[in-house]
Amino acid sequence: MFSFIVRRLLLAIPTLWITLTLIFLLVRVIPGDPTAVVMGSYVSEENIKTLKHQMGLDRPLMVQYFDYLYKVCQLDFGKSLITGTPVMKEIKTALPHTLELTACSIVFGILTGIPLGLLLALKRNSLIDYLGRLLSLGGISVPVFYSAILLILLFSLRLDLLPTMGVGKEGSLASRIQHLILPSVTLGILMMSYLTRITRSATLDVLSEDYVRTAYAKGLRDKKIIFKHVFKNASIPVITVLGLYTGILIGSSVITEIIFHRPGLGSLIVGAMLNRDYIVLTSVMTLYAGIVILINLLTDLSYGLIDPRVRLS
Amino acid sequence: MKRYNSMLIFIVVGILVLGAGSTAFSEKVLRIGVKSGDMGILDPHLSATTANLPIMDSIFNGLVRFVPGTVDLEKIEPDLAERWTASSDKKVWTFYLRKGVQFHHGFGEMTAEDVVFSLKKAATKETSAWWSNYTMVDKVEALDKYTVRITLKNNIPSVFALVINNRGGMVLSKKAVEKHGDGFKLNPVGTGPFAFEEYVPKQKTILKAHPQYFRGRPKIDKIIYHFMPVDQSREMALEKGELDMIEGTKAEWWVNKMRATKGILVDALPPGELTVVHFNLTKKPLDNLKVRQAMAHALLRDEFREVYGKEITEDAISPVPPGYLGYTSDVKKYEYHIEKAKTLLKEAGYPNGFDLGKMVTSTIYLSSAELLQQQLKKIGIKFEIQIVDHPTMHKMIRSDANALIPYGAARFPIADEYLFQFYHSKSIVGKPTGITNFSHYGEVIPGVDDLIDAATVEPDPEKQKQLWFKAQRKIMEDLPSYPLRVTYVLFARRNNIDLGYELKSNINLHYQITEKTDIK
Repeated sequence: MFSFIVRRLLLAIPTLWITLTLIFLLVRVIPGDPTAVVMGSYVSEENIKTLKHQMGLDRPLMVQYFDYLYKVCQLDFGKSLITGTPVMKEIKTALPHTLELTACSIVFGILTGIPLGLLLALKRNSLIDYLGRLLSLGGISVPVFYSAILLILLFSLRLDLLPTMGVGKEGSLASRIQHLILPSVTLGILMMSYLTRITRSATLDVLSEDYVRTAYAKGLRDKKIIFKHVFKNASIPVITVLGLYTGILIGSSVITEIIFHRPGLGSLIVGAMLNRDYIVLTSVMTLYAGIVILINLLTDLSYGLIDPRVRLS
Repeated sequence: MKRYNSMLIFIVVGILVLGAGSTAFSEKVLRIGVKSGDMGILDPHLSATTANLPIMDSIFNGLVRFVPGTVDLEKIEPDLAERWTASSDKKVWTFYLRKGVQFHHGFGEMTAEDVVFSLKKAATKETSAWWSNYTMVDKVEALDKYTVRITLKNNIPSVFALVINNRGGMVLSKKAVEKHGDGFKLNPVGTGPFAFEEYVPKQKTILKAHPQYFRGRPKIDKIIYHFMPVDQSREMALEKGELDMIEGTKAEWWVNKMRATKGILVDALPPGELTVVHFNLTKKPLDNLKVRQAMAHALLRDEFREVYGKEITEDAISPVPPGYLGYTSDVKKYEYHIEKAKTLLKEAGYPNGFDLGKMVTSTIYLSSAELLQQQLKKIGIKFEIQIVDHPTMHKMIRSDANALIPYGAARFPIADEYLFQFYHSKSIVGKPTGITNFSHYGEVIPGVDDLIDAATVEPDPEKQKQLWFKAQRKIMEDLPSYPLRVTYVLFARRNNIDLGYELKSNINLHYQITEKTDIK
């Protein structure tokens, strides 16, 4: 197991390096720069040049690249090009909000998606199965920005139950939870839909296995067969999807945070992108990439724990 | 199971009730939704982004100010200066300051020293984006604690434009700039009705009332500017009552929809944004006057207005927006006449039209670009539209990527500003002094540099206006560009917000929040 962990960790290093390089290049390839954002579109080229020099953007690209790599290795993300706020400070403020939102969405997805998937598999080809499949297909197909607006229209404007924006009043847990419900459900629907589909198909696969038939033949109780034999074996693909789609969920949280005006990494990344704040943009993208690589690593490791065949291969 | 169910219901109801109660505030907080992902910096001498202008407007004052709710440079009123005098040749101006005006955060009384410091900072290249406006200033001196003298090298279009409550005219606390250094941009200290309190990156900026404000304590305790780039989010939050004011969407359907919403007022603010198509004269055959005339005859302005709706737009006639000091509508007009356009093209040697390649633009100008494409196609002029994001477009149109450049802008309301930035040869894109002269007017063909320069130093306001009129007439003869439409800036607010002044217009393209603004 130890060598398996070391192998996976070593593989993560080149992945991270390639990602960092791609992030740096992608951000610099986009035309436009932060100077115009600071000064507006009606100042002279001369002014822009002066500010560019002050921001260090007139240095050769390679110098800026190695500077970036060196600083990232030291976990020094630098300062916002525009406001001069330390990026680490911005991230520290934003990260908990994103983690809170993503965690709640995952919990919502797990609590609804897995039982629903199991139910659909057990009621295969019934009306419930068809409706459930349709629902999960809808959940995957409807874009997050659209479902978010529909949910706001229904629960905030029509029923007047939940707020449309923000994270709630500081120090008030009830207000914070209230502000978290709609964004979590918006994102959670996505996770629920993925999990429903994969749980259903994985359960169906296992249900047709010989050992399940044997268990039934032995006269074991349904509950025991489903939870001990079927669900445990069906959980490997479910965990894969959970890991894989957590990455997608983090990506979708960007849009959710923007629509619900939540102060997470998504708002940071969009604000930085619109303002061409290269430092904030590369730093937050690096963090996102790091989180996704970490989740994939944990997913790989969890296979090893659940399925001995994986770590032995 | 039943017990768990009732517990769950109790928790949910509790959250909803407690949460609803928590939205009630004891202090008067004005919540504004700004159409932007973030703020820039709050140094008025360096920053001029739309998201920042209204924030800085509440923090700082100038020596003089526009009457709240107007942008008329001919009807300004005292701000930090109580009164002023000018020498007979209008080259020496003396401003007498109000006494006892206090800076925010305990930075003490505003004096002539702060005014001199601010004006010198505004005139320095390294510390100001507006330094070029101050090149005609010879000296700024403090005669005593409350008197400032400005001596000009030459006459300029308006000395008030240099000391008004906008851009380089804003007065900063010298002590605060010296204390914070570069950090001043996030620790601004002025004398305005509201003081800077907090900035949460990419989220919000909070201002609090300045109790010692010289016009009296503001009625509102706090302003929160939320940076919300998604239109629908702002709209729904306003409708729900979580925001009090928002920037709107430029469309008549939006105006009608918001007006039909209970408790919402819609404001359309002129002077609006002037949308113009610039003809890049370096791209053949646009250097041919007959080709440009043909295009002008082929463009139907009515359709450009219909895109947004006639109620929130007006015809653009001159290259300067209506309402600006020095504007005239007495210029050459080109009626919509396809046959005439075709004849002109034939005479220019292009009976079947021509292909202009690609037009790079952003979604903001997409509808204008598509209309240009449709209308010019009727006379055989074709081009492809390529959509990029807004900053990318800005970069590309400054490197001559396009033959046609649809562009909308609103500027300081004086003809000189618009004429200089879009039609003076110094402003040609790509030059070190380049700004937004996309057509290369004044380089490929002779332009109006002499008229703009002469108006700049003309001491007689009437003669100055005549020079600006002449420049506008010549531009419409030469057609380096063709004005298409004027669009008003749209905003919506809850009907319990009393602005405290009659809203006719605004320089900052946003609601101005003064000490009289109130939440009823």
